[in-house]
Amino acid sequence: MAKNRKHQTASIRFGPALKASFLCLLIGGSAIGFVWQKNEIYRLGQQIRQRETRLAQLQNDNKRLGDQITILHSPVKLDQRAKELNLGLAPAQPLQVVRLDETPSPAKDKNVSRQFTQRPVAGLTP
Amino acid sequence: MTNKLQIKRALLLLAILGAAFAGLGYRLVDLQIFRHDELSAKAQHNTQREFRQAPRRGDILDANGNILATSVAVKTVCADPSLVGNQPDAVAHVIAPLLQLNEAALAQKLTPRSFVFKNSNGEIVTNELHYVRLAKNVPEETWQRISAALTNLTFGVDEKKLSRTNREFFRNLRQHAVFSQADQMRVYPNGLLAGQVIGFPAVEETNVGGRFISKIVGCDGVELTMQKPLSGVAGWRVTETDKAQRELVAWRDEDVYARDGLNVVLTIDSAVQHIVETALADALQKHTPKSITGIVMRPRTGEILAMVSLPNYDPNKSSSITPEARNRVITDVMEPGSTFKIVVVSGALNTGTVKLTDQFDCEHGHFAFAGRVLHDHEAYGMLTVKEIITKSSNIGAAKIGIKLGEQNLYNYASDYGFGQRTGIPLPGETRGILYPVKQWSKVSIAQIPMGHGVAVTRLQMLQALAAIANDGWLMRPMIVSRLQERDGSVVQTYRPERLRQVISEATSRLMIEALKTVATKDGTAAAAALKNYVVAGKTGTAQKVENGAYAPGKYISSFIGFFPADNPELCISVVMDEPKEGYYGGKVCGPVFRDIAERCASYLNIAPDPKLMTNAPPLVVENINHGNQTP
Repeated sequence: MAKNRKHQTASIRFGPALKASFLCLLIGGSAIGFVWQKNEIYRLGQQIRQRETRLAQLQNDNKRLGDQITILHSPVKLDQRAKELNLGLAPAQPLQVVRLDETPSPAKDKNVSRQFTQRPVAGLTP
Repeated sequence: MTNKLQIKRALLLLAILGAAFAGLGYRLVDLQIFRHDELSAKAQHNTQREFRQAPRRGDILDANGNILATSVAVKTVCADPSLVGNQPDAVAHVIAPLLQLNEAALAQKLTPRSFVFKNSNGEIVTNELHYVRLAKNVPEETWQRISAALTNLTFGVDEKKLSRTNREFFRNLRQHAVFSQADQMRVYPNGLLAGQVIGFPAVEETNVGGRFISKIVGCDGVELTMQKPLSGVAGWRVTETDKAQRELVAWRDEDVYARDGLNVVLTIDSAVQHIVETALADALQKHTPKSITGIVMRPRTGEILAMVSLPNYDPNKSSSITPEARNRVITDVMEPGSTFKIVVVSGALNTGTVKLTDQFDCEHGHFAFAGRVLHDHEAYGMLTVKEIITKSSNIGAAKIGIKLGEQNLYNYASDYGFGQRTGIPLPGETRGILYPVKQWSKVSIAQIPMGHGVAVTRLQMLQALAAIANDGWLMRPMIVSRLQERDGSVVQTYRPERLRQVISEATSRLMIEALKTVATKDGTAAAAALKNYVVAGKTGTAQKVENGAYAPGKYISSFIGFFPADNPELCISVVMDEPKEGYYGGKVCGPVFRDIAERCASYLNIAPDPKLMTNAPPLVVENINHGNQTP
């Protein structure tokens, strides 16, 4: 023991010091990284939650506005509005409706499918 | 000596340390093994939360996609009085105007209090109240205003100078004392339109852990019969929350989305429904009947385009619905009167028992049969079968019935669907009354052909007429067309259903020829005639039965018809219960039929009958490809 002390050099041994520092940095860095990662997970979780809420809200708004358009287009509302504005609108009388005969014309090209030209005239009601 | 003492001390220390480690070991085993289940459940209870995700109830749409019923996202505003402490008045003062509630009543609700209950062990326990419901169906915007108002709420104290506990109290009061739960409200944007067909909702509430979960259920109409597809399936989320009850998304365990209810698309056309409702409302004002009903049906498919019964109800005001506003089209029965003659005449024509040209002696209005005297409204002599329909002779119909025979008459009535439910998916449909032949009296064979001694629903009667218009094929009435997702993709389509061919195509043509004469100047419903279409139909005027006897002066008047007669597009029924200002079916219901038919024909663009268009100015179409047309 005494012998070792006697021969001890005054200079710093960098090897072990570096090793120790590296180990400390590794452990410290891992700890900080772990905490940072946990924070990020929490932060992103909160963002996901906020965006989910926003998405649900936008979907609700979209549905509400879509419904509003449909309701404003409904025959009952249009009829009410036409009466309110006193536009003098009335349903077209049969004689005011132009009807064109849909006689099928024969297909010029024989290779063309005749499916549509041969189709009988369907009922006129929608 | 010293060594011995040191050894003793070391042993003592070792023993103490050993005992301590043994104690810790025991504690560890106790916590981790013996009490594992209990403690892990407790830990889960502290952090894990289960959220129910309510499905959105599906919409009800008309045939053209117009919304008849929809669900709107709203909030139920609740509070935890234990967090309000001594500030109920301040909180109530801020939120009462926004919720449009009485401030004092709201403050009362917010005041912390305890309640006594019996726990599962039968012990009486006192607990602090943590949940009160302040308001339901609160719009999202209102809730956001409430939330902002609470965040900015000050209590007249400098909170920075308060102790940590007091600061936390105020923070909890602002953030958690008043909260909201997602909910939905059923809305019927067209109000009264098709109210009885759509039905109305009720809210069913279940108490889950002291909190109420509400669910909309249908109480009438399509809302009730299509409850299952409309409801959807609830989802859930098992997750963990932090101290402030914020969800920790990373710790989500189960996350099953709710499946929204399907949209139900009806065969009802809002425009046709509106036409019928306004026409019937006008007739209600003019004739002041007890009730009036109208149906519009496509005879080829059985699709119902409109179904109206007045008085009706607004599903948005479900609390004010009365039994008088029921859907009488399917719930009420009546003696059909002369409209039932279509059954006996078509049956007799189909079996070859009679021809349209065969003549019957109508006995000048008085016919004694089986101890009873049958009457006609006018004294007729010899009438052909066709004229019996035109004039609606009771005696003529009775004689045709007698010639057809009891069993045949019963079979045809049964084949037309009388005495059975039509199977329309609406609640409360009745069968009507059609007694089997063995229960008939001697006079039944003469009475039933003129529509007495049987009871039918308005829908059954129209279904029978639609069969005549549809080459003899009886169709099941349709009210639901399809089920679809919110994005419009079709999940299930309901096809028109042919039930049976009651009469042959040739017989149906003969019947149409006879029925065409009704809406003429010689027939009983001249007022039902249309300018541009040939109408086939039948009138009915039946005395009402009250307490088992015919009530004098009380009638059920009806007209059922279809047009264009040779290519039927629409079948229409109009029935009035006890009309004033006239009571003959052709007189009171005929004009209503005409009104509905003309407006529907215009809306649906039904081609006019070419025979009736001869007086029209010629339509010149020159080179349609270049658009040089003159109407």
